[in-house]
Amino acid sequence: MRILLTGLNHKTAPVELRERLAIASEKLALETRGLLAHDGVREGLILSTCNRVELLVCHEGGDPALPAYLSRLFAVDARTLQPHLYEYRDAEAVRHLFRVAASLDSMVVGEPQILGQVKESYTTARSVGAVGPELERLLQSAFAAAKKVRSETRIGASSVSIASVAVDLAKKIFGSLEGKRVLLVGAGKMSELAARHLMQQGAGSLLIANRTHERAIDLARKFNGHVVRFDELHARADEADILITSTGSPEFLFRAPHAQQFLQRRRNRPMFFIDIAVPRDIDPEINRLEGIFLYDIDDLQSVAASNLADRGGEARHAEVILEQELTRYHQRVEALDVVPALVDLQAAAEEMRLAELRRNHAHLRGLTASQQAAVESMTRGLMNKFLHQPLQMLKAAAREGDAARVEAIRSAFLREAGREAAGAVEFADEPAVELEEPLKPFFSKH
Amino acid sequence: MYLLWLRVVVVLYGLASVSVLIAVFGQRPRWQRACLGISVLAWFFHAVSCTEMLALEHHWTPTGMHEVQSMLALLICTVFLLIVWRYRTLSFGVFALPLAFLLTVVPSLGLDRYTFSSPLIRSGWLFVHITALMTAYAALIFSLVASLLYLVQERRLKNKRWPGFLNWLPPLDTMDSIAQTTLVLGFCGMTLGLFAGSLIAQEQYGARYFADPKIWLSFVVWGLYVGMLFVRRSTGLRGLRAVYLSSLVFIAMLTVWAANVFSSVHRFGAP
Repeated sequence: MRILLTGLNHKTAPVELRERLAIASEKLALETRGLLAHDGVREGLILSTCNRVELLVCHEGGDPALPAYLSRLFAVDARTLQPHLYEYRDAEAVRHLFRVAASLDSMVVGEPQILGQVKESYTTARSVGAVGPELERLLQSAFAAAKKVRSETRIGASSVSIASVAVDLAKKIFGSLEGKRVLLVGAGKMSELAARHLMQQGAGSLLIANRTHERAIDLARKFNGHVVRFDELHARADEADILITSTGSPEFLFRAPHAQQFLQRRRNRPMFFIDIAVPRDIDPEINRLEGIFLYDIDDLQSVAASNLADRGGEARHAEVILEQELTRYHQRVEALDVVPALVDLQAAAEEMRLAELRRNHAHLRGLTASQQAAVESMTRGLMNKFLHQPLQMLKAAAREGDAARVEAIRSAFLREAGREAAGAVEFADEPAVELEEPLKPFFSKH
Repeated sequence: MYLLWLRVVVVLYGLASVSVLIAVFGQRPRWQRACLGISVLAWFFHAVSCTEMLALEHHWTPTGMHEVQSMLALLICTVFLLIVWRYRTLSFGVFALPLAFLLTVVPSLGLDRYTFSSPLIRSGWLFVHITALMTAYAALIFSLVASLLYLVQERRLKNKRWPGFLNWLPPLDTMDSIAQTTLVLGFCGMTLGLFAGSLIAQEQYGARYFADPKIWLSFVVWGLYVGMLFVRRSTGLRGLRAVYLSSLVFIAMLTVWAANVFSSVHRFGAP
């Protein structure tokens, strides 16, 4: 069975094309079934995310012509599609899949979503019967490698988006965000995103203050928060542990004396100010106060950029781990390839049979042709009966992916068969045994 | 036999000190597990060693500098493990484990040349007095370290510089909580220790015992401790001023320790 991976991603195709090829999650099962029905495909999986669409198939015989299939499936002209497609076969396809699952091929290296998306594709493919032993083995190894990369490197440890950097900083100050109160001053998109992240991380409640009161009420309804009247802002700001501002105010809304009052009312419990407004809403001087931490948009962006640079270094470490995992995978696959073992085992048994016949040649010489045929048939039948069980065991172990059992059976039977054959030959080499006239049809092979 | 266990403990503390550096600075989960395992093992053997040491000749009270050092190291390790259990942070091991290693190296080399000898050493009250005060020392060390780390983390967050080697610092809130909790633990230890000591003194020597410089210094430190607790709790004092206060009380406690030299009865090192 051969492995083929075809697709396009953010590096090879513009978003205009990628969005035409995207498959909604509810249609994934149907399309995977369609892929499985395609000519030559034995096992298959479709990975569709906002940054990539990839078809991974195991096939026998000729090329399953996946570009044509993609073109038909998405009704995109083959000439438009072709320049953006990549194709990886066998070892290269395995390497690509490992890199994708470990998030080394992602737009933001180390982002955690991709592994979940690959697992989702696998679950869908499995549910429609498109995952056989070959893909099962490959995907489980890819998941294990991705997990190892995550646990042994810090590739996904630092945040690289503004919102997640804000969450990280809040955690550096407060530890857990459980029960912490967030005050949103101004209801812009960015502040909404940051607030959403903080709430998802466990922040207790949300207060919203906006010059347009109705907009504040809308947002409060959306987040199950509470509205603070804009003219009460300074009187109630100390209720919040985290304060996010994004108003269009041309002047500072919060200055050092305000912050001093907040601290006094909070008995010096720290406050985290996130100012994502331009022009800024908070006087940078307040960062000088003990217990006040102020980050503006530039500060957040510089932390995100520095974290991104750190990920580059971790990615190099991750590539080394991935190489080791790839070697392990290929060794396992080789160990599970039992065809040579089956041939060797049959050859060794046949050699033993011939050696025994040679040894008894003197006694068998007087037999008639039909009796010789019967001896021939009987020894062959015995050999086949004897081999039946080990051959079945080998095939079963290979099917179950149990490399250790394959190796155990192979070493036990092949070593034994080899020794037996050698012993028989030694016996045959004794002077009493002479091979003058070959038995037919058996001797016709010599 | 306790010396053999103590030597095992020294080796384990040494290993834990190395592994904690890799676990904390490298933030490697495997090393974190290894460090925790070694620390627990070291604590166990250390408890065995201390029990054997104190049970020796049935005295139950540390009677020399080596025994005191070993006991203090055990208490430091205990507080460290309690912090790991409660706050899920190994960061304090960077200080606690090498300190425990250093405190146990000399006692593991041999027996004390000079030991404190008094008929009181078999008194349970004396055991409570010494153990409670040593717990206070251990707790105050952690409170001071937590306050210092709070300061470093606060400066780091305020300066918006992210040197990678400081990523291991726990969150501010965690450090503040550790500083406060250990302070309260230390206060309880100190109060209990002074109370037990006063009872023994009153029973054995009467009022004249309280003229000893070490005794009245101890009460001054206790007063300082109460003051610091009150200020921290009422104003929510954090950062630099909290470090100053913790340092002041710690220095005062070290002075009390050093007052052994001038004391007529608290002389561990006397021949």
